[in-house]
Amino acid sequence: MIEIIATAESVEQAHSLFDAGVDAVYVGEDQYGLRMPASLAKEEIAEIAKLAHEKNKRVIAAVNAIMHNDRIEAIAPYLEFLQSIGVHAITVGDAGVIHLLRKNELSLPFIYDAQTMVTSANQINFWVKRGAIGAVAARELTYEELKAVQEKVPVPIEVQVYGATCIYQSKRPLVENYFRFTDQKKPTSKEQNLFLSEYKNADKQYSIFEDVNGTHIFAAEDLNLMPHLDMLIEANITQWKLDGIFTKGEPFVKIASLFVEAKRAIMEGRWSKEACEKLNEQLIAYHPEDRTLGTGFFLKSPSEIK
Amino acid sequence: MKTITKKPELLAPAGTLEKLKMAIHYGADAVYIGGTQYGLRSRAGNFTIDEMQEGLAFAKKHDAKVYVAANIVAHEEDIEGAGKYFRTLRDIGIDAVIVSDPALIEICAMEAPGLPIHLSTQASATNYEALNFWKEEGLERVVLAREVSMEEIREIRQKTDIELEAFIHGAMCISYSGRCVLSNHMSHRDANRGGCSQSCRWKYDLFEMPELNERHSLLGGEPLEAFSMSAVDMSMIRHIPDFIENGVESLKIEGRMKSIHYVSTVSNVYRQVIDKYCEDPENFVFQQEWEDELWKVAQRELATGFYYGIPDETQQLFGKQRKIPSYVFIGQVLDYDEETQIATIQQRNHFTVGDEVEFYGPGFTHSHQTIEQLWDEEGNPIEKANKAMMIVKMKVNAPVKPLDIMRKKK
Repeated sequence: MIEIIATAESVEQAHSLFDAGVDAVYVGEDQYGLRMPASLAKEEIAEIAKLAHEKNKRVIAAVNAIMHNDRIEAIAPYLEFLQSIGVHAITVGDAGVIHLLRKNELSLPFIYDAQTMVTSANQINFWVKRGAIGAVAARELTYEELKAVQEKVPVPIEVQVYGATCIYQSKRPLVENYFRFTDQKKPTSKEQNLFLSEYKNADKQYSIFEDVNGTHIFAAEDLNLMPHLDMLIEANITQWKLDGIFTKGEPFVKIASLFVEAKRAIMEGRWSKEACEKLNEQLIAYHPEDRTLGTGFFLKSPSEIK
Repeated sequence: MKTITKKPELLAPAGTLEKLKMAIHYGADAVYIGGTQYGLRSRAGNFTIDEMQEGLAFAKKHDAKVYVAANIVAHEEDIEGAGKYFRTLRDIGIDAVIVSDPALIEICAMEAPGLPIHLSTQASATNYEALNFWKEEGLERVVLAREVSMEEIREIRQKTDIELEAFIHGAMCISYSGRCVLSNHMSHRDANRGGCSQSCRWKYDLFEMPELNERHSLLGGEPLEAFSMSAVDMSMIRHIPDFIENGVESLKIEGRMKSIHYVSTVSNVYRQVIDKYCEDPENFVFQQEWEDELWKVAQRELATGFYYGIPDETQQLFGKQRKIPSYVFIGQVLDYDEETQIATIQQRNHFTVGDEVEFYGPGFTHSHQTIEQLWDEEGNPIEKANKAMMIVKMKVNAPVKPLDIMRKKK
């Protein structure tokens, strides 16, 4: 059973995403989750959870930040809260959180999500044995590797099918440091839409911003696997994730609905090259004009990477 | 009164067998090396099993330990053979493996029981609950993330009893280790499998795009400064007592790619500081000469990383770089005749009669002199030592010992 999981930036957007047919929304607060489209307050998350229950959908909360002592201290009550509002699962990337779930006997299912680190079936199985109900595959895995991983793990792996992908996280405020060195006073948040480009390869542009978790840099291409969904089906990969960090509001909902449409077409046996092309054209039209789309590592051969 | 409950281990990098021996000779209690597989420094000199055995034999003789870094984040195609590899390491007597990937941790625990596992800094362990998790998994030690502050170490020490290892000196990832794949995306080299192309140290434009396809550069400074993410190196030379008082068991020097000159100098300095402090913590006085010594092999500016706060712009390499006085390794002492005061030296870099040189040895011994006379191996006077690895003899002002090093200013 294919499931479309989409990030939600607000209660309203969660509403629209559910109406558009997504199966689960992914939400969180920046203190505990990484790179969410918006840092939602507890009340908003509670409302989204309520909505999900009413509509028989799922809500997944982001608890995948790298925690320092102060946060690991604060997180116990947050986990209690997420459990109390009936969140269906949380993403976790820090072993300390898994230790706490166990120690405090919480019944929150967790999906292992240590971002760039989640690269093999053996690793995912390590976490499955320790309670993980799923895992988010690193964006640096190729199709060949993803397929091999899904074959060897007993839980569904999440693969990102749309949106920006993070390729770098530093705890240092690197943009702020640069501005200070060059004597400029400028904001550095994701709303500023800042980019980097290499001196030696100026065509590619990488989004960069700062938040409470440090500095984040994103790949030059946002992912779009719409043209390759048949490969995911063949690999038995059913958890399709959409990230709306740089695709806001209505266009993101539209794009999510295109994946819902694709899913329905596949399940009803009417998926075709034409249908795919049609949806892909629409997707490109809804995608932000200043951002490039691509397939990342999906179509590369594992041997291309040294 | 301050009492030292436990003297920490000084852990040095050893990229080759020769560096392993020098690191131990110059005071390291333990060294970490890379094998030909699963290590993150694909370009460092990596050890074959035979070389590891030779290194181990040397280490055991000097009461030192040898750890093997197997800290890649493995993909499907990397995993086969890992069990056999860990069993071999265990069977030849390696003291511990340094691992970050839970896949490899599990393989090691299942297939090579008895081989202690240390969690690599690559796993970004930043809180005490994470350490408690790994302790319950049977790990012996955790190498803390470089983002952890001294205050956090204090708290971690109070709330867990797994062994702690912390970096005290060397180059640093400016990102959370393991959470940077710039290299994968920019040059098709996997940073987490030994291919890091150091993209963080490249030059970048930083811009906003108020209009579509219209880049508005935010670069500033006079002269114009590129955006870069290049960190200065770490040196905790002035803060070793903090680690000891907070119960850190192992103090780690970075640098499996670094030279013999570097490894011997840095090990020598920290050996002194640790010994002097532990000998008499109450009356410990920091010696400026220790820090001066480190500058002789420094490659970048030095700072304290995250230990005392979030690093600001002064901990990044911006602007015109100051030329750090650097020294070059020119010879290694093979022998010394007390009666004649003649030292036999193996040339490592060009030197000539008239050069101002410095000798140093384990135990922080130093002497300075001008080279007055040189002879070749047969005793013929020569002017210069200009052939690689040639053996020369020279008269020295102060006694030297085999394995002492002779250097001069660049």
